[in-house]
Amino acid sequence: MARPVVRLTIRGVLARKFRILLTTLAVVSGVAFVSGAFILTDSVKKSINDLFAVLSEGIDLEVRSVVAFGDPARADRDPIPAELVDSIAAVDGVRLAEGNLLRAATVIKSDGEPLATSGPSFGIAWTGPDGLDGRTLIEGRAATADSEVTLDKSSARRAGHEIGDVITIVGPKGKGDFTLVGLTGTGDTDGGGGASIAAFDPATADAFLGANGLVDSIYIAITDDASLTTVQDELNSVLPSNVEVITGEQSAQETAGAINDIIGIFGNVLLGFAAVSLFVSAFLIFNTFAIIVSQRLRELALLRAVGASVRQIRSMIIGESLIVSVLATVLGIFAGMGVAVGIVALFNATGAAFPSASLIVSFRTVLVSILVGVGVTVAAAIIPALRAGRIPPVAAMRPELGFSALQKNRRLVVGSAVFGLGLLAFASGIAVQPGGAAGTLGLAGLGAVLLFLGIASLSTTVAAPASRLISRLLPLPFFPMTRSVAGRLGSRNAQRTPRRTASTASALMIGLALVSTVAVIASSIQKTFRDQISTSVSADFFITNGPANFQGLPPSFAERLAELPELSAVSPFRGADVLVNGDPKEVGAVRGSAFGELVDLDLLDGSVESLDDGRILLHRDPATDYGVGVGDELTITWQNGTESVVQVGGIYADSTIAGNWLVGLDLLASVSTAEPVDFFIGAKIADGVEIPVARAAVESIAEDFPSAEVQDQAEFQQSQEDQIDQLLTIIYGLLAISIAIAVLGIANTMALSVFERTREFGLLRAVGMSKRVLKRSIRWEAIIVAVFGASLGVVVGVPLGAAVASVLPDTVITTIVVPYGTIVNILIAAVVVGIVAAIGPARRAAKLDVLQSISSN
Amino acid sequence: MSTVAPPTVAAAAVDAYKIYGTKDSEVRALDGVTISFEAGRFTAIMGPSGSGKSTLMHCLAGLDDLTSGSVRIGDDDLASLSDRQLTSLRREKVGFIFQAYNLIPTLTALENITLPLDLGKSDRDQAWIDTVIDAVNLRDRLGHRPSELSGGQQQRVAVARALASKPHIIFADEPTGNLDSRTGAEILTFMKRAVSELGQTIVMVTHDPVAAAYADRVVFLADGKVVDEMVEPTADRVLDRMKKFGS
Repeated sequence: MARPVVRLTIRGVLARKFRILLTTLAVVSGVAFVSGAFILTDSVKKSINDLFAVLSEGIDLEVRSVVAFGDPARADRDPIPAELVDSIAAVDGVRLAEGNLLRAATVIKSDGEPLATSGPSFGIAWTGPDGLDGRTLIEGRAATADSEVTLDKSSARRAGHEIGDVITIVGPKGKGDFTLVGLTGTGDTDGGGGASIAAFDPATADAFLGANGLVDSIYIAITDDASLTTVQDELNSVLPSNVEVITGEQSAQETAGAINDIIGIFGNVLLGFAAVSLFVSAFLIFNTFAIIVSQRLRELALLRAVGASVRQIRSMIIGESLIVSVLATVLGIFAGMGVAVGIVALFNATGAAFPSASLIVSFRTVLVSILVGVGVTVAAAIIPALRAGRIPPVAAMRPELGFSALQKNRRLVVGSAVFGLGLLAFASGIAVQPGGAAGTLGLAGLGAVLLFLGIASLSTTVAAPASRLISRLLPLPFFPMTRSVAGRLGSRNAQRTPRRTASTASALMIGLALVSTVAVIASSIQKTFRDQISTSVSADFFITNGPANFQGLPPSFAERLAELPELSAVSPFRGADVLVNGDPKEVGAVRGSAFGELVDLDLLDGSVESLDDGRILLHRDPATDYGVGVGDELTITWQNGTESVVQVGGIYADSTIAGNWLVGLDLLASVSTAEPVDFFIGAKIADGVEIPVARAAVESIAEDFPSAEVQDQAEFQQSQEDQIDQLLTIIYGLLAISIAIAVLGIANTMALSVFERTREFGLLRAVGMSKRVLKRSIRWEAIIVAVFGASLGVVVGVPLGAAVASVLPDTVITTIVVPYGTIVNILIAAVVVGIVAAIGPARRAAKLDVLQSISSN
Repeated sequence: MSTVAPPTVAAAAVDAYKIYGTKDSEVRALDGVTISFEAGRFTAIMGPSGSGKSTLMHCLAGLDDLTSGSVRIGDDDLASLSDRQLTSLRREKVGFIFQAYNLIPTLTALENITLPLDLGKSDRDQAWIDTVIDAVNLRDRLGHRPSELSGGQQQRVAVARALASKPHIIFADEPTGNLDSRTGAEILTFMKRAVSELGQTIVMVTHDPVAAAYADRVVFLADGKVVDEMVEPTADRVLDRMKKFGS
């Protein structure tokens, strides 16, 4: 019984190869992103774990200071005295102990610019390839004198340095010139796993990196006959209580785990965009199958007439979608490997130097890809299949009876219900925010999906009038397309199958709705930021460590700026993780005497200067939460475990720059010896000093810190906006994939419509319509569909964006801005999309032979 | 070569009404038709456009349902059958020959012929299928797709398909409507032979007196009613009868 169904299904697919291929392509991209995300994260995680395993291969134990709370790999640990190395080496069973020191140090390229890396820039202490650090020597030798350095080979190449060159490196205390004596690698790579690594001999490292006789941790190798736990216990009894002894294995796992988390986030972002493009593909699949079913109406009715059951008809359509999905899933998994390789290559091109790893296609990857690829495709084909089953056998002789069976549905009711449900889910998702970030995203995402489905369904109702309206307004209201025969024809054709027009447009709607949503949020953030800077910032200069490097500025920079007579107030801003009365918080540390002149805190009580007396300032919201006022006390637990009871010195109302908690630099320095870094430095020009004079003075100090960027208010604001714009470009780029699928969808629908109207086109050509006019009418139709989709996208996306913006905290968004420029661009882009989508179908229509077309049925 | 079937009733309609639209714009496509078709005979249904002849055939074949009245095929009262039972009835007991475009374009000639058998569970009677294929003279065309066949060949495949399941009754809707007269004559000859030599029962709707002359009996319909019938028709007599409708 199944045999003829299988045969019919396979033949059905073969007869529509091109159509099926197009549909397959749409699914492939979605599956490719899903599998690519998994392959990438699996492979990179594996290689990073391997890398750290190699690096720590010789390290049996590691000694480091303890932290009281927080993530073990990312916590700010106090350094420990280098002298401990000697007492550790004296312990029975210890073969070798060496200090590990790692600080920010930027390599200056041969052209004088700082080297940009995709990871951090490090300077380290290195005893050479025989030591415990797993770094390998590729060329030359290890640095042994205070004028020597080695670099990882990848960074040296990108910086344009060769062995023997004198190169400049910027450490925490300023610039230094060193002779490059060797090139190093990590594991089997020639890079630093994304970081640039400048390695000095331990004494030079201590001086140049400003360690003052301290090291970050101490690596230990034990003798062959010693037991790990015995040595560990022995060390614990010898060493002071503020240090701990962990195994090298644990240390490697902690470090790798922290990096794995970041890669995991990256993978999840990819999966998010995969979901969007799969959702859009589902529309294309739905549309293609719906059109195929209506075109095969007579054939399906004939099958019913000669004895095919409803189930057999439905199985046939589902079977066709199954073939598409299997094809797409297989191709998608291979394409996913390509995606993974491509992304790794992209990162390597910017200097990430991912360890060369073989691609890992796990069982989970394959399983999820199959579930997603097959699931989405078959789900999208279910409704067309159900409709196909409704075709009555009599339609074999009277097709018009079949069409009415295909049209029958409760679209308005179901569409409204789904729309309402979506609205409810989305609103409660962003307003109530159940279950933290995951719950909020999940519920809001589900709501958005339902909203899109509901609108896609409801848009059928407005498709015809909207098409009419668009054709009156395009290309220009005073010269509408309805003036020309081609325009009128295109317009009528778009109106005559509202369901097809609507579902084709809906695919485009999704991508563009997300673009509008993101655009509204981004422009609101930018506007809010601009307003905040102008109202709450009075600093004249901002110094940051530039976009090339996210490690912050060394404290010596701010200290030297503070000595300049041209500046009246200078304060760095650094951060620390603490517990306030037991709750984890982030506090900012600033100079109390200067900060009040740089940032308008909108102080409600107390004084900013009290920070320098060891007091704490807080925003009025936490002040209310903790029920404290000026003079009350709070208990701060620092990351190294030190507890301080601190008096409240002031309450403020503007947290834009300061955040919720502020302490003085001296308080932070008195409790923590962890190497501080400054997020930014604010500076105000002294009275009577000309701006260019002050700037020149600041720039002269900045020369010793080439990666630092000195910006005035306008430049600072611009650079912050540029960062948001960069992020937007990436998001738009990824959404472009879903828009491309939608374009494919429009082209597909147009091609099917052209095929359907063969006879009609033949007639038009027979009565004298030129190929050019015929092509133009198809182009107009595609433009109408695209503009309709884009309009839906804007109409849906802008309110969604405004809704998200309205629930974001005031520090992020206070004013909601509708980016009219972006909206106009979207609509213009839609016209282009229509023109592009119509190229193939129009050409095909023009090629039709007049006589054959008329005689076809 | 086969025994002539006893004169049992293959299909019948009793008091059949088919009314489209509501009161004001009511159209009575069938207005109380009572008629039966004997097994082993070739019956033609004739009548002017809008006489209800196609509707009658659709209802007789279970493709469409009546407003009131009943239709039987063999022992089955169609009104009492579920959609699933109707489907298997069409598969096993009814054959169809349509005007044109009634082959599945993606299947070969042979696959089209055996389609109703393949769709069901019934065992195929290979000897019978061979007989049918030889009768319509398609042996050398079995592997071709419909697009590779001429109009006459396509219609012969359709006739063979209708015969393949050895149905109780075959319904033909203007089977020669799209063919030139010579090819049409060929098809009608096959159909006549299927009745006389293979013992089949055929009901054919046509407006062509020449085609009707191949039948054993002609039933005339006008305005949804049976108005006349003629046994052992000739083209001229049928034409004369039809001319009366015009006046």
